Amino acid sequence: MNQMTDFSSDQSQPMLRVDNLSHRVSLETDTLTILQGVNLEINRGESVAIVGRSGSGKTTLLGLLAGLDTPSEGTVELDGAVISHLSEDERARLRARRVGFVFQSFQLLPAMTALENVMLPLELAGIDAPEKRARDLLERVGLGERLNHTPRQLSGGEQQRVAIARAFASEPSVLFADEPTGNLDNRTGQAVSDLLMALNREQGTTLVMVTHDEQLAARCGRQFTIESGVLTEPAAVREMAD
Amino acid sequence: MAAASKLMSVRRDWRERDVRVVLAALIIAVATVATIALFAGQLQRTLVSSASSFLAADRQLEAENGREIPGEWLTEAHARGLETGRMVEFSTMVFGADNFQLVSVKAVSNEYPLRGEIEVQRQSEGPRTLVGAGPGRGEVWINPRLLRLLDLTIGESLEVGNRNLKVTGLLIREPDGGFRLSALAPRVMMHADDVPSTGVIQEGSRVEYVYLFAGSETALDDYYRWLQPQLEPSQEWEGVRDGDTFSRSLERAERFLLLGGSLAVLLAAVAVAVASRQYALSQRDTVALLKTLGVRSNGIGRLYLRRLALWGIAGAVAGLFVAVPLFWGLTRMLSELLERPVELYLDPMALAPALLTAVVSLFAFAYPPIRRLRNVPAMRVLRSQPGETGREAIPDILVAIVAVFGLVWLYAGELGLVLALLGGLLLLLGVLALFGWLLVSGLRRVRGGGNAWRLALVGLYRHRRASMSQIAVFAMTLMLAATLVLVRTSLLDDWQAQLPDDAPNHFLINISPDSVESVASFWSERGHDLDQLYPMVRGRLTELNGLPVKEAVSKDERINALNRELNLTWMSSLPADNEIVEGAWFTPGQDRGVSVEAELAGRLGLAIGDRLTFTIGSQKVTESVTSIRTVQWDSMKPNFYMAFPPGGGLTDMPATWITSFYLPEEGKPGLNEFSRQFPTISVLEIDHIIARIQQIVQQVTQAIEAILALILAAALVVMAAVVSATLRDRQREGALLRTLGGQQSLLVRSTMLEFVLLGGFAGLLGVTAAEAAVWALQFGMFDGNFGWHWQVVLPIPVISAVVLALFGRWQLGPVLSVSPMLLLRRLE
Ligand SMILES: Nc1ncnc2c1ncn2[C@@H]1O[C@H](COP(=O)(O)OP(=O)(O)OP(=O)(O)O)[C@@H](O)[C@H]1O
Ligand SMILES: [Mg+2]
Repeated sequence: MNQMTDFSSDQSQPMLRVDNLSHRVSLETDTLTILQGVNLEINRGESVAIVGRSGSGKTTLLGLLAGLDTPSEGTVELDGAVISHLSEDERARLRARRVGFVFQSFQLLPAMTALENVMLPLELAGIDAPEKRARDLLERVGLGERLNHTPRQLSGGEQQRVAIARAFASEPSVLFADEPTGNLDNRTGQAVSDLLMALNREQGTTLVMVTHDEQLAARCGRQFTIESGVLTEPAAVREMAD
Repeated sequence: MAAASKLMSVRRDWRERDVRVVLAALIIAVATVATIALFAGQLQRTLVSSASSFLAADRQLEAENGREIPGEWLTEAHARGLETGRMVEFSTMVFGADNFQLVSVKAVSNEYPLRGEIEVQRQSEGPRTLVGAGPGRGEVWINPRLLRLLDLTIGESLEVGNRNLKVTGLLIREPDGGFRLSALAPRVMMHADDVPSTGVIQEGSRVEYVYLFAGSETALDDYYRWLQPQLEPSQEWEGVRDGDTFSRSLERAERFLLLGGSLAVLLAAVAVAVASRQYALSQRDTVALLKTLGVRSNGIGRLYLRRLALWGIAGAVAGLFVAVPLFWGLTRMLSELLERPVELYLDPMALAPALLTAVVSLFAFAYPPIRRLRNVPAMRVLRSQPGETGREAIPDILVAIVAVFGLVWLYAGELGLVLALLGGLLLLLGVLALFGWLLVSGLRRVRGGGNAWRLALVGLYRHRRASMSQIAVFAMTLMLAATLVLVRTSLLDDWQAQLPDDAPNHFLINISPDSVESVASFWSERGHDLDQLYPMVRGRLTELNGLPVKEAVSKDERINALNRELNLTWMSSLPADNEIVEGAWFTPGQDRGVSVEAELAGRLGLAIGDRLTFTIGSQKVTESVTSIRTVQWDSMKPNFYMAFPPGGGLTDMPATWITSFYLPEEGKPGLNEFSRQFPTISVLEIDHIIARIQQIVQQVTQAIEAILALILAAALVVMAAVVSATLRDRQREGALLRTLGGQQSLLVRSTMLEFVLLGGFAGLLGVTAAEAAVWALQFGMFDGNFGWHWQVVLPIPVISAVVLALFGRWQLGPVLSVSPMLLLRRLE
């Protein structure tokens, strides 16, 4: 493994620290504010659920937290590194080593088989024996029989499980999941939730997920609500009110 | 149905990228094929008229028998809308102030020349001008050398027979300054109507009447069909195409255009095929959706057919709108090259192949995949079954390929061409299949890493189906382009070889045996060495295996060589540019036998051992054929149909000697002295003819290069279309690789490497297939000698690798500049 930039984590620091984050996009006529004044701190090993209505800005927030985009205002500090201070390549390196992402729309490469899709991040990170690891992961999400099928040949839920396996592959220290059980039936959804929670427990992976699944949200350590780009933590509010 | 129709409105169509690509491909296809077809037609007409000026007409009727042709033949020609003219050619003595000289007179009617122009100089130091008619009555124009020989000046008079004709100009060049051995002595041009009053022509004089004809090709052909049965053996109908001197060069140029056009058809078909197939595949979801909405299979079929037809029309119309101005521009360029106005000639028939190509490739490649989807249940369309390989498309594609090659056949009318290209293509696909197998079995083991090379190889393997079809299309495109480059190169090389700068440009004819040595030393003293000297005996071929030759040869073969006296020779060694195709050349000491030129032998149906009888003067000589050899007629050297061995059948026959040599402009004054010292030897100056041939070759070269450029541009467009067909997939992949932590530099390097491999390999494959196709073409079409041309074609794989790499890099641009999140959202 070639350690190019030192991202060695200071265990006492929080995994994620968001300070006064706002995000705007300029449209043809005016600017649209998607996120506004978001403050957030997530510690290592925590599991966090974000809930909110469609279009409220959940995916946007997740992308900013994962360093897939840079905010218009405010800072995101991921594992001690301020994302907007990093170059694109440094961000990429950070993602390769520390971050896993499960996209709402899976984002599998249609030309590749399930196995190849899962191997991709391993190959990029230069991890040894990628094939064996990818195979294990796919077996773990119940797709041991479908290794050589392409996404087009898989159902929506199956594709989602491939996406989860891919996110786990590089053993990230933080995993972002955008509605990981959105397309799954109860049983499979349950299995995937179990998987996520197990990972969080066994490997200490920090878990940040967007979900509509109340059961899954309830299994997380903390829950946030987002409404029109404003993030609140109802439980904390309630605590404060108490 | 209403909902479905709405879904398919044309306006919506245009917003779809795939549709725009299909339409762009259609427009380019129609535009290139139509432009090339139009321009080829134009060029052919221009060249033929350029070449016609060599005859001063479109056709000549030569009467060597010293009699004029019946008047009704000319009346008939006029009735058929042909223009005619008349020339009388004879040799006579003319007298100047105090000297006399044997000259060759050409007396021309008012109409001469029907094609081309005469170059004259009116004053001894004045400018040279091009004029469209010969001298008037009572005037003569004479060769400048004759002026010096006779010590005349312009304005003085020249005595021709009983007449005194005024010298009013120097004849610099006549359009039909032909390559005829009868025109040996210095030229005098006069008016045909003055001939009777000179009294030179009497019963038994050796005179040649030449009639000129010009008009449309069909009228000329019809007229010849009418005339042919009435022609006597000594009357010969000659067209540009029958001439030896350079019609071959012209024929090759025409074939090149034909080839260029055919390749344009193929390229266009590839472009439309790639685009429309891509489109058809992208329509799977829509078709499925339509089915779930309750549209029936037939309805879907009709819908798409209607849609394709609509695009076909739109693409064709737009393509023609592009083609016509392009054609106009090229024609303008041509007329600038030729330094004379070129009449615009727009043949509507030339548009047919363009439209057919577009329609055939559109329907042949776009419709079958849709038709197949029609019969598939909606669910299966949405989720393709495991194990679907794309193999089911192979029969459709084969049918389409046959259709497209059928088009080429229709266009070129040459089965050989189609087979050569098809052969090259099959070879290409064969190698590609082999490569595919190697790719699958070899690259499977490669596992990617942070290394760009491995990532590139893995990329090739993972996208093997797309890679293979891209390589196939690139290789095919490059093969077509390389074929054209190769043919052009060998065409130009051939011409260059035929007419090098020091090609012989003067002939010495009628050298008596005892002056051979003094002639050679005359010129070598002046630093000009003569080429090989050949003896020449004039005789007719009269019998074949004891039968009169006219009976022995089938009636429908019109063989000029039999109608006139042939130049026979003897020689001990085979000229360097001749080649034995059958039998064996004379061994030293052999004194029997005759070697026959291959084409004549073919037409007479001669085989080794056939007995030929020649009538030479009053004697007969019979020899059997011992060898058949090819001759380079356009080499500008003495060439002979019949060659005997030294000491063979021609011994003791009255012979004179002939030779050719290169005399540069500054050596010209030596000719005067030569003529005084050897008055009986004829000097044939062909330097003007050579200059004109070189000029025409240059024009043709330019035209060929213009067409080549057009085709290469089309090839580039095809390749761009193919690459951009996968643009979305590649961008999505790039975006995803970035979200997964791939660094930009890695992405750039691996993408460029992948394209370098793709382009380089496709280039090599295409060039190899092109060499194979050219090998076949040169056998069949250009009768040249095949040699490898690596130095010419090797840049092609390199260029294609570099261009594709840059193209790949350019495509990656948006993936690198935007944040991954935004990219994924956009590509959703
Ligand atoms: N680049 C952009 N340009 C324009 N609008 C954008 C852009 N990015 C996000 N938006 C808008 O911002 C809002 C929030 O988007 P986001 O995808 O974050 O919603 P979400 O909460 O994930 O919704 P869902 O639950 O439906 O996935 C949406 O209205 C979306 O259309
Ligand atoms: Mg979302």
